[in-house]
Amino acid sequence: MSVTVQIPPPLRTLTGGLDKVQAAGRTVSEVINNLNSVYPGIADRIYQEGNGLNRFVSIFVNNEDIRLLAGDQTTVEDGDVVVILPLIAGGRR
Amino acid sequence: MDSLDRYSRQVIFPGIGKEGQEKLARSTVVVIGCGALGTVAATALARAGVGTLRIIDRDFIEYHNLQRQILFDEEDVRLQIPKAIAAERHLKAANSAIEVEGIVADVNYRNVERLVEGADVIVDGLDNLETRYLINDVSLKHGLPWIYGAAVSSSGMMMAVIPGRTPCIRCLFPSLPPVGQNGTCDTAGVVNAAPMAIGALQGAEAIKVLLGIETAGLISIDVWSGQFSRLNVDLQPSLDCPACHGRYEFLDARFGVRTTSLCGQNAVQVLGSGDATLSFDEVARSLRSIGQVDYNEFMLRFVVDGREMIIFPDGRAIVKGTADESAARSLYAKYVGM
Repeated sequence: MSVTVQIPPPLRTLTGGLDKVQAAGRTVSEVINNLNSVYPGIADRIYQEGNGLNRFVSIFVNNEDIRLLAGDQTTVEDGDVVVILPLIAGGRR
Repeated sequence: MDSLDRYSRQVIFPGIGKEGQEKLARSTVVVIGCGALGTVAATALARAGVGTLRIIDRDFIEYHNLQRQILFDEEDVRLQIPKAIAAERHLKAANSAIEVEGIVADVNYRNVERLVEGADVIVDGLDNLETRYLINDVSLKHGLPWIYGAAVSSSGMMMAVIPGRTPCIRCLFPSLPPVGQNGTCDTAGVVNAAPMAIGALQGAEAIKVLLGIETAGLISIDVWSGQFSRLNVDLQPSLDCPACHGRYEFLDARFGVRTTSLCGQNAVQVLGSGDATLSFDEVARSLRSIGQVDYNEFMLRFVVDGREMIIFPDGRAIVKGTADESAARSLYAKYVGM
């Protein structure tokens, strides 16, 4: 499955400035792993050390919060859009 | 001037109408933080005829603010007017039919409940997440809706939090990101369209909340790449959200700080202890032999050893030319006293 992943500005330093990339996988977790193999370091910004998604990042598949679906085991279909959204401040954090 | 004539173009709009306009006139909105987001949202609300606006900001205006903080001009910078006071003056000039009160203050756990008293809606124009989580706490504790907004680089987010009816900011983002991880206006910069778009959306959302109209959910935009998303979030508060279940960790000052490095300014804010009211005449007398002092009714500027400190009547100070919080704290302790 190939999906479009929208990359937020803080993570664009890892994608060479790209705001949108293609990635493969059957679940959100596989998509993130695939992204990480192409853009190393990206998974560290999404996952907590150890386990689970970071608590200051939300992920949406086709505009639906994956917490309301199956978390990072949410399945994706060809052409789906995955949005990675870290909490932003505009300030010093 | 006939108020319905002033607002005729939005009274024609079916979502507002005459009744909605009258409701706005009876409403009070508190805008916390008057930078890029706050100047845009406050402008929208003042011109739309919200009856009472309280604008709270701790800062003064600098040239690099003018790129995006649309309410201010070069004269404000020259006169060293605090943002809250300049905003009050400009908004009153734009609409003399409403009440506008500018308050120069740092919003913190000690004063936030007093500062939002009487509000129907709080609008977030802040530049840091700790204070947003504090607003989130006070919103939930007192059942006051607030409109989260943030922008950095070319992106921005916006969401109305209505206690008991929508998730809160901690439902969606339970904890703060590590320092520096998500970019700041310092490191990532900001395109003025991002906060201007978000501030305008916050203004519209605040009006909708005042009129009891359903809100838009979580909006995420990128004005450079042209991505605009309306994201669906849970319609219920999260089961494990501390704030939604009466644990107000920010309001209880479990995460409070006494010094704050200021966004994009190479400056540190130091909070005085207690609710001091300084006499600038006295402070000036004691500091004049040590360094250069000048002051007006709003702030006292003190320059010593190449460092500049701006002191406010409530005892708060901004130490410029350093991002080192402990150096700023010791300079404050030395010359102002803890």
